[in-house]
Amino acid sequence: METSKEKISRNQTIERDVLSVSEKTGSWYWLLLFFTVCLTALGFIMWGNQILTGMGLAGKNNPVGWRFYITNFVFWVGIAHSGTLISAVLLLFRARFRSSFNRAAEAMTVFAVMTAGLFPLIHLGRAWKFYWLFPYQNQRLLWVNFKSPLIWDVFAVSTYFTVSVVFFYVGMIPDLAVARKHSLGIKKLFYSILSLGWQGTELQWKHYRWLCIFLAAFATPLVVSVHSVVSWDFAMSLIPGWHTTIFAPYFVSGAIFSGTAMVITLVVPMRKIFSLEKYITEDHFENIAKILIVTSLIVGYAYIVEPLLAIYSGNIFEKSQFYYRFFGEHWFAAGIMLTCNAILPATLFVKKLRRNIKYLFIMSIFVNIGMWLERYVIIVTSLSHDYDPYAWGTWFKPTYTELGITIGSFGLFFTLYLLFIKFLPILSISEIKEVSE
Amino acid sequence: MSQHFVFDEKNVFLNKLRELLKSGVPQKNISVITPYHVHEVDEILVSAPSKLRIFTFAGALLGGIAGFAFPIYTTLSWKINVGGKPVVSIPAFVIIAFELTILFGALATFFGFLLFSKLPVLKQIIDPVDYDKQFVILVKNGEK
Amino acid sequence: MKRREFFKLLGITGGVAATGSACSEKPSRLIVPYLIPPEEMIPGMPFYYRTTCTECPANCGQIVKVRDKVYNNQRMNFPVKIEGLPGHPVNDGRLCLRGQASLTRLYHPDRLKKPLVRKQGGKHEETVWDEAFARIAAALKESDSSGSRNFYLSGRITGSLSRLIDRFCKNLGIVRLAEFEAYSHSAIRKANKILFNFNDIPLYRIENADFLLTIGTDIIDTFVSPVSYSLRFAKAKEQNHLKWIHLEPHISLTGIRANRRLVINPGSELYLLIYLLHEIVNSEHYKNSLSPEITKLLPSSSAGTIAEKTGLKTDEIEEVVKSLKKAKRPLMITGGISTGNSSGLDAALVCGLIQWATGMIGNTIDFSEAENYSAVGSFLDVEKFSRELGNNAAGVIFLSGISQRLPEIDIKKAKLSIGLADLPEGLIKACDIILPVSHALESWGDAEPRKGIISLIQPVMEPLYGTLSAGDILLKILEQKGNEKRLTYHEYLLQEWDKTGDKKFVKELLEKGFFKGKKSGASVVLNHESVLSSLKAFKLPEVKTESVLIIAPSLRTYDGRSAGLPLSYEVPDPVSTITYSRWIAVSESKAEILGIRDGDEVIVSGDGLDLKLPVKVLRGINERCAMIQIDMLESVIPLYDSRTGEMKTIIEGIKITKTGVRKYIPILSGSTNAEGRGIIPYPEHNKKHDTVKKSLYPEPEHKNYRWAMAIDLTLCTGCSACVAACYIENNIPIVGEKAHLEGREMSWIRIEPFFDSSDRLYFIPMLCQQCSYAPCESVCPVFATYHNPEGLNAQIYNRCVGTRYCANNCPYKVRRFNWFDHKGASPLDLMLNPDISARGRGIMEKCTFCVQRIRLAHDIAKDEGRKISEGDVLPACNQTCPTGAITFGNILDKESSIHKLAHSSRVYRIFEELGTEPAVYYLGPERKENGDK
Repeated sequence: METSKEKISRNQTIERDVLSVSEKTGSWYWLLLFFTVCLTALGFIMWGNQILTGMGLAGKNNPVGWRFYITNFVFWVGIAHSGTLISAVLLLFRARFRSSFNRAAEAMTVFAVMTAGLFPLIHLGRAWKFYWLFPYQNQRLLWVNFKSPLIWDVFAVSTYFTVSVVFFYVGMIPDLAVARKHSLGIKKLFYSILSLGWQGTELQWKHYRWLCIFLAAFATPLVVSVHSVVSWDFAMSLIPGWHTTIFAPYFVSGAIFSGTAMVITLVVPMRKIFSLEKYITEDHFENIAKILIVTSLIVGYAYIVEPLLAIYSGNIFEKSQFYYRFFGEHWFAAGIMLTCNAILPATLFVKKLRRNIKYLFIMSIFVNIGMWLERYVIIVTSLSHDYDPYAWGTWFKPTYTELGITIGSFGLFFTLYLLFIKFLPILSISEIKEVSE
Repeated sequence: MSQHFVFDEKNVFLNKLRELLKSGVPQKNISVITPYHVHEVDEILVSAPSKLRIFTFAGALLGGIAGFAFPIYTTLSWKINVGGKPVVSIPAFVIIAFELTILFGALATFFGFLLFSKLPVLKQIIDPVDYDKQFVILVKNGEK
Repeated sequence: MKRREFFKLLGITGGVAATGSACSEKPSRLIVPYLIPPEEMIPGMPFYYRTTCTECPANCGQIVKVRDKVYNNQRMNFPVKIEGLPGHPVNDGRLCLRGQASLTRLYHPDRLKKPLVRKQGGKHEETVWDEAFARIAAALKESDSSGSRNFYLSGRITGSLSRLIDRFCKNLGIVRLAEFEAYSHSAIRKANKILFNFNDIPLYRIENADFLLTIGTDIIDTFVSPVSYSLRFAKAKEQNHLKWIHLEPHISLTGIRANRRLVINPGSELYLLIYLLHEIVNSEHYKNSLSPEITKLLPSSSAGTIAEKTGLKTDEIEEVVKSLKKAKRPLMITGGISTGNSSGLDAALVCGLIQWATGMIGNTIDFSEAENYSAVGSFLDVEKFSRELGNNAAGVIFLSGISQRLPEIDIKKAKLSIGLADLPEGLIKACDIILPVSHALESWGDAEPRKGIISLIQPVMEPLYGTLSAGDILLKILEQKGNEKRLTYHEYLLQEWDKTGDKKFVKELLEKGFFKGKKSGASVVLNHESVLSSLKAFKLPEVKTESVLIIAPSLRTYDGRSAGLPLSYEVPDPVSTITYSRWIAVSESKAEILGIRDGDEVIVSGDGLDLKLPVKVLRGINERCAMIQIDMLESVIPLYDSRTGEMKTIIEGIKITKTGVRKYIPILSGSTNAEGRGIIPYPEHNKKHDTVKKSLYPEPEHKNYRWAMAIDLTLCTGCSACVAACYIENNIPIVGEKAHLEGREMSWIRIEPFFDSSDRLYFIPMLCQQCSYAPCESVCPVFATYHNPEGLNAQIYNRCVGTRYCANNCPYKVRRFNWFDHKGASPLDLMLNPDISARGRGIMEKCTFCVQRIRLAHDIAKDEGRKISEGDVLPACNQTCPTGAITFGNILDKESSIHKLAHSSRVYRIFEELGTEPAVYYLGPERKENGDK
C-alpha cells in the first residue's frame, strides 16, 4: 500500500516525467530532425521532378503499372491501423496495458495516414488533376465513379484521417491542459489554445468519457474497414493473385502486424532515451508481442491458403501465377517475405524472447521489411504474370525517383514523429494516473 | 465570493466533497476539477446522464443516408455505363455509406461534445487558472 | 445562338488581326483562315490523292489522305495517312507495313534538305543547286575531253523516268549500267530466259490455283509483290480452298501461313525438284508433257535418297507429290532463299520445267503481265562495274534510286561521284556531290510495276525542303549542257504521256491513278534446244552437313532500305517479337548444343563473315541453320552465285561461338506458350467448365450500332501492316529502344505469336476487345473510360488522371500508358492526324476501333440522312490488311459480314470465361479436320 505521500508524489512525478521529455532533447535531436527533414526534402524534390518529367521516371511499365508507390501507400496505411487498434479497440475492451502505448500509437496513426495519403497523389500520372478524385460540383456535371475501389479509398482514407486526427486530438486535451499548467510564455499560449480551456470539471469529464467511447466505437470499425477497402483495390480486379476474397482479413491482420511492429520500433528507443521505463514495462511489451504472434499466424495462414487453393482449383491462371510468385523472377523478395513474416515471429512463442526488449526491437524491424516486401510481391508478381503470356514482363531495379520518394516518405513520417516528441505529451498522462490508481 | 479546496489525495478530496454536500451546500454551486474521471464523484454529485448519444446517432444516421443518397443522385443524374454494372450499384455504395456514417458520426459527436462541455472557454484560454494540486473543489457564492 | 454569333465575330476579328500580324517571325498559334481557298478543298476535311508507293519495287497504288496545317506561318497541305488504292491492279486497296511506314520517310528528321558538295578537306558542305549543277557540268565536260567513261547506276526504275534516264545517258554519253537490286531474282529470270526466252518474272496468279507449292519464296514477306500475293492467296483460299505447301530451311511468315510447312535442308531443294519432275512426267495425267531427252538429263532417285538429302520425311515427300498430281490448277514457285546458292539456276530451271509440264503456264502463271524486272541486272554487273572502277576508267558516276544495299564498291576511284537520294545512307555518304531528291509524295512521275500497268505518281504537297525530283534534276543537267530546252519533269511527263496518242490514257491515269493497258498477248513456248544445252553440264550439288547461315530478307526493311525509317524498328519482327536490335536466330537444338539462351552473344565467322550478334532461339528452323535478316549486316556481303549473279542467301561452313556476354535485347513477347489459356484455337477448357451462363449484370443494350471486329486467324499472316497503320492513324508515339527494353512500347494492336501443342504457330492480333463488360471501366475513379452506346470502350483522354488501374485490370493488357511526353523530332509532328488528339504524359490510351473514322462516318451519314452502312467505316488495321483477315462492322446489322462471321462455326473469343463479353471475334481453322488444314 502506498502512503499518501507516495501517492501525491506519483501523480506529480508522472506529469514531470512526461512533460520533461521536450527538455531532454539535446543536440542529437536537432541533428536527427535535420536529417529527416533532408530526407523529406529529397522525396519532395524527386516528386516535383516526376510531375514535370513524367511517371516514366518511376520503375513501372506495361504490365506492371503499380509498383513502389502503391506498395508504400498500403504499407503506411497498414501501419496506421495498429495505432487505432491500440487506442480505440483496446479502449473498448478496457485493456489497461494500452495506457502506456496509446499516445505514441495514435500519433503514429495520424502521421502514417498523412504519409499514406500522399501516395495516391504521387502515383497519379497527371498529379495536377488530383482534385478530380473528389466529388465536387463542376461545370461538366461530372461526378466521380463510386463503383471504383480507388474512390472507396478516397472516402475511407479521408474518413480514417479525419477520425484519427479527431481521436488523437481529443485524447490529448486533458494532457495539453496539464502541459499548459507547467509552461510559460509562448508555450503556455500554445497549449492553452490547443487545450480549448479545458479544466477537468465533472461536467467536462462526463461528456468527455462518452466522447472517447463513441470515437473509439467509430474508430474500431475503421480498423477493419479501411484496410479492407484498401485491399479491395486489388481484390476487386480480376488478376490472378489479386482477385481473392481472403484479401480483406489478410490485409487487415497484416496491417495490424506491421503497425504493431512499427509501434515497437518507435517506443523502444523513446523509452530508453527519455527514461520512461517505469511507465512502459516488460509486461506491456509482452502483451504487444502477443498481438504480433496472432497477426503473424493469420498472415502465415493466408500464405499457405492462397497457393494451396490455386493448386487445388486447377485453374491454370492461378496455378501459374503462384508458381511465378514464389519461384519466378522475384523469388528472393518472396523468400524474405515468408521468412520475416511467418517464420521469424514464430520464435516469439518463447516467453523469454517475448520479454526481451532488444529482441523485440530487432524483430520489429524485420517484420516491417517483410511486410513492405509482401505488398511489393503481391503487387508486382501478380501484374507481371497474368492472363496473356505475351504481356508477361516485370521490372527489377528501383529507379532513383522511386527510392527517393520512398525514403522521403520515411523522412516525412519520422520528421512528424520527432516534432510530436518535442511539442506534444508523448504519454497519456491522465490515463496513466487513472490506471495507477 | 467563491472558495476552493485543493487536495492531492483522492480519498481526502472525496470526503471533503461529501462533507460539503451534507453541510447543505447546494449541488449546483459545487464544481470539482479532477485529473481524470473519478466515478465516485458521479455518485456524489448526481446529474443527468450525457445526452451526447443524440448527436452521435443523428450524425451517424445522416452519414448513412448521405452515403447512399449522394452516390445514387450522382449516378442517376448522368447514367454512365461502366463495365456493364448496374448504374445504381448498392454493394459499392454500402462502402461509401459505411465510411460516411463513421465520419459524420465522429464529427457530430465531437461537435456535440464541444457544445455540451461549453468548450472552448475563451477566458480560460487567454488567462488560464491552474491549480497546484490534483483535486480541487470549487464552491461558488461563498456559502459554506 | 447569341453565343455562337459572338464567337464568330471574335473569330473574324481575330482572323483579321492574325493575318495582319502574319508577317512576324515567330510562329504563332493562330487560326489562319483561307482568304481564297483552293477549289474542292474544305479546311478541316481531308482530301485524297492517288499515287504510287515507292518504298519497294512492288509499286503498290496508294491513296494519300491530306490535311491542311499551318507550317512556317503558311497554311499548307500535309499527308497524314496512306492507304492502298482500291481497284489498283497490284494491291487493290491494301498496303503493307513498309508502305504505311513510308510516310515517315517523307517527314524523316534526317532528310537531305540542300545539295551537299564535298569541298577540300573531304567534308560535305551545303550549297545551292546552281553550284552543284555547275560542278556536274564541268565534270562531264572534263570527262568527255579526257576520254573517261561515265556511268549511271540506279535501282529498278520503271516508267517515264527510266526512259528519261536512257535519254539522259544517250545525250551525255553516259553508260547506263544494269539496274541494281539486292533481290534481283536473276536465277528465275535466267531460267525463264532459257526456258521461254523471257527474261522476267511472270505474274503468279495464285487466285486461280487450288494447290500452291512454294519453295523458298517468301511471297508474304518480301518476294516481288507481297501485298499482291497476299491478296491473291486470300482469294484462292476462299474460292478454291487452296492447299498450300511451303518448303524452307528457315522460318518466314510465308511458311507459317501455309497449310503445311516443311523444313528442308538448305541447298537441297534441287533434289526434291528433280524427284517431283520425274514423278510428274511418269504420272498418268502428265505423261508426254515433256520430251524424254530433257528428263533423261536429270538423274532420278528414290524417295528414300531424296528424304536423306533434303531432310524431309518420306511421307512428307509423298504428300507433296500427291498434291501436285491431284491438283487441277496447281502453281509452283521456286525462288528467294532456294535460288540463292550455286544450284539456284538449276532449281529454277527444273521448277520451270515442272511448270510447263503441268500446264501452269497460261493458267496460274501469266507472262503477259510480267513483273517488269527485265532491266534489272545482278551482282555480276556490279562486279564488272567494280572492275572498271578499279582500272581508273571511270569519270563521272551517278547513283540514283538505289538502296544502300549496294555492296562496297570503291566509288572514290571515280573522278566525280554524284548521289541522288533523300537520306544520307550507305554508299550515298561517300559520294562527292549529294543531290537531295524529293519524296514520291512531293513529285510527279509514273511507274510500271507490271508490264502494261502504268501507275501514277503525283505530289500531294509542295516539297518540304528545297529538293527536286530525280526527273527534274536530270532535265536540269541536260538543260545546262545545252541539249534540252527548259522543261520541268511534270511538263516532260505530260509530253511523254501524250506520245502514246491515246487520249483515254491520260484521263484514266489521272482520274483512277493507274492505267491498265491491253495485255501483250505473249504466249510462251518451251525452247527445247536452249534447255538441252544448259542442262548438258548439269551436276547435282553437294549437300554439305556443316552449319549454315541463312540470310533472309527482312519483312520490316525489305533489303535494308527502310531501316532508317523511324517506324521500321518500332514495330516488332512478328516471329521473334524483337524490335530494336540485331539478332541471329538459331534452332532450339542448336541452342541446346551450344548452351545459349535468348540474348547470349555469339560470334559468327566463316566465308569472310565476322559478326557479333545476340541470339534468339526460334522453334522451327532447320537444325543446321542459323538465320539472320539481311538488315543485320552492315552492308551486303558480295557473295553471289557465279552463274546467275544472285546474292548468296546461304553461307556454308560457318562457326558459331559463345562470347559469354549477355545482351539485353527488346524481345516484346513474354512467352510463346499459350498452354491452355484460351487464346489460340480452340479453348478446350471452356468445354470442361461451364462458362459464363447467368450473369448478375443486365444484358448489354445497344440501340443502333454495336461495333465489332472479326479476325480470321487462317488469313492473318503476321505481316504487321495493321500495326504500322495504327501507329500512323492514331498518332501513337514512337518511343525508341530504351523504352522498349523497359517494356513501354505503345502499340495499340500487336501480333502475338503462340505455339500450340503440335508446334503450329499462330499469330494472334491483339487489340482492345471493346468488351461489353469491360473490367477496365468500373475501376477508373474519374470516369475516364466508359461504355458508349455503340458498344465501344471509350477512353476520354482529357479526363484521365493516370492511376493506371484500368491497365492493371485489363486481362488482355492492351492499354498503353504515356510514361513521358513524346514529341516527335520535327518535322514528324507534321504527320500527326488532326482528327485525334496527341496524348501528353500521364494519360492512358488504347485502340478505339478508330473512333475518329466512326465519327466521320456518322457525320456523313447524318448529312445524307441515312444510317451507316457496311464499308463506311474502315479502321486503319482493317483497311490495310493485305489478306483481308480483319473484318469490321455493326454486328446488329444482320446482313453484315461481321454478323455472319461472328455466328460462324469457327468463331471463339479470348478469355471468354472471364465474362468480359469482348467484341472481337477470332476465327480459327475448320474444326472438322484434325491437325493441319
